[in-house]
Amino acid sequence: MGKDILLKVSGLHASVGEKEILRGIDLEIRKGEVHAVMGPNGSGKSTLSSVLTGKPDYTVTGGSVYFNGEDLLAMKPEERSWAGLFMSFQYPVEIPGVTITNFMKSALDARRKAHGQEPLSGAEYLRLLREKMASVGMKPEFAKREVNVGFSGGEKKRNEIFQMAMLDPVLSILDETDSGLDVDALKIVASGVNALRSPEKSSIIITHYQKLLDYVKPDVVHVLKEGKIVLTGGLEIIEMIEKEGFDRF
Amino acid sequence: MGKVVDHGNYVPAAIPSQALQAGRGEVLDKVYVLDGNSCPQIPAAVVVDADASVRLTFIALPGSRADISLDVFIRGPHSDVSLSGVFVESGDDSISLNVNMRHLSPDCTSDQLFNTLASGSSRFDFHGKIIVAPEGQKTESFQTNRNILLSDEAQVLTKPQLEIYADDVKCSHGATIGRLNEEEQFYMRSRGIPENEARGLQMLSFISPVLDRLPSGSDIPGRLEQAIRSL
Repeated sequence: MGKDILLKVSGLHASVGEKEILRGIDLEIRKGEVHAVMGPNGSGKSTLSSVLTGKPDYTVTGGSVYFNGEDLLAMKPEERSWAGLFMSFQYPVEIPGVTITNFMKSALDARRKAHGQEPLSGAEYLRLLREKMASVGMKPEFAKREVNVGFSGGEKKRNEIFQMAMLDPVLSILDETDSGLDVDALKIVASGVNALRSPEKSSIIITHYQKLLDYVKPDVVHVLKEGKIVLTGGLEIIEMIEKEGFDRF
Repeated sequence: MGKVVDHGNYVPAAIPSQALQAGRGEVLDKVYVLDGNSCPQIPAAVVVDADASVRLTFIALPGSRADISLDVFIRGPHSDVSLSGVFVESGDDSISLNVNMRHLSPDCTSDQLFNTLASGSSRFDFHGKIIVAPEGQKTESFQTNRNILLSDEAQVLTKPQLEIYADDVKCSHGATIGRLNEEEQFYMRSRGIPENEARGLQMLSFISPVLDRLPSGSDIPGRLEQAIRSL
């Protein structure tokens, strides 16, 4: 495997219950690249992100995934996070009784512990929290709110991008992060993604529409249909889908 | 919102001679902690006079066995009773809780909130009845029992009941039995929070509405957190 390959998915098959949804996915993402995975509803886009992040209920029935040279499928969801993988959820989950402050403190402390580092001091942590909240335009009072409880759709997505900024992942998967967002929220998401762009970091943008891709220009575009990648290319694919939809594939 | 009106069948209960008394305008706030080794003397009956305020909290730490029966007689107007509890059970712990909340006088309020975490092969039984006598107009009485099963062998039986003989009241009861939410767990784990810690956060969040009712400075939240993390 080449040194600059961050994620290598080979012949990935996955099922939910008895139903096979991914039917042989091959995908290679190099450091610094932004990939878009586009496809109609039911093509397996969300299953792909769920399998990559280790969601229970999905069974991998074949193939392999290597992340930074490590066997990703052998890792627990939390270990994948510690290794630098992050997913922005299509439907962020509400966690009653747990504030954003405590939630992110637990997350950061656990990761630092896994890497043999001491936890951040309270002051260091709060400084980081405020800085990252400001960077995504989140009001400071959200720190005391319970995670996603009573948030609007846009606020939930913003909270995802905030968590992404806090955890500073090597590979971010944005699962339909643009769905249900107005233009302002979309710009926040896009600037969050663009701010994390670096020669060492990569993203996968999973989307049905081209909206987000107007603001974040991907290096590679894939079309997913019926559990397989049927086309890989550049920005010209986005234009083609915009004009002709997914029917031609 | 439950409402049953039947003036025909109301049978008053006799007030036992041995009872905890909250006299006119008195404020009582008591916490009973069952911690396996010791079981405090829990009164079998509470008598509440006018303008009194009674708050009783029950905490069970793992290793406890108890059979708690409590009859509350609210017999003076404008009084308020709040009962709450957290029951953390492991092994073959068994706790049963019987509450009769008797509203015998108008314009009173009562609230019950009992949250149970049952692991191992433990068992929790709740029988809770709100009884509003014909004299108990303008009563507001609420009862909630939430239960989380942490293992396949743990058992919970919950039986909330309303008996209402007055026609101008607000009463409700609710009971749930479930498991820790797996979507929440996966969300937390995907952020790097280990599974055990995620479960711990969920359990602490589950009991926090009761902890909010404890006097500030209490050592009970810390003891419960320790107990939960060792489940």
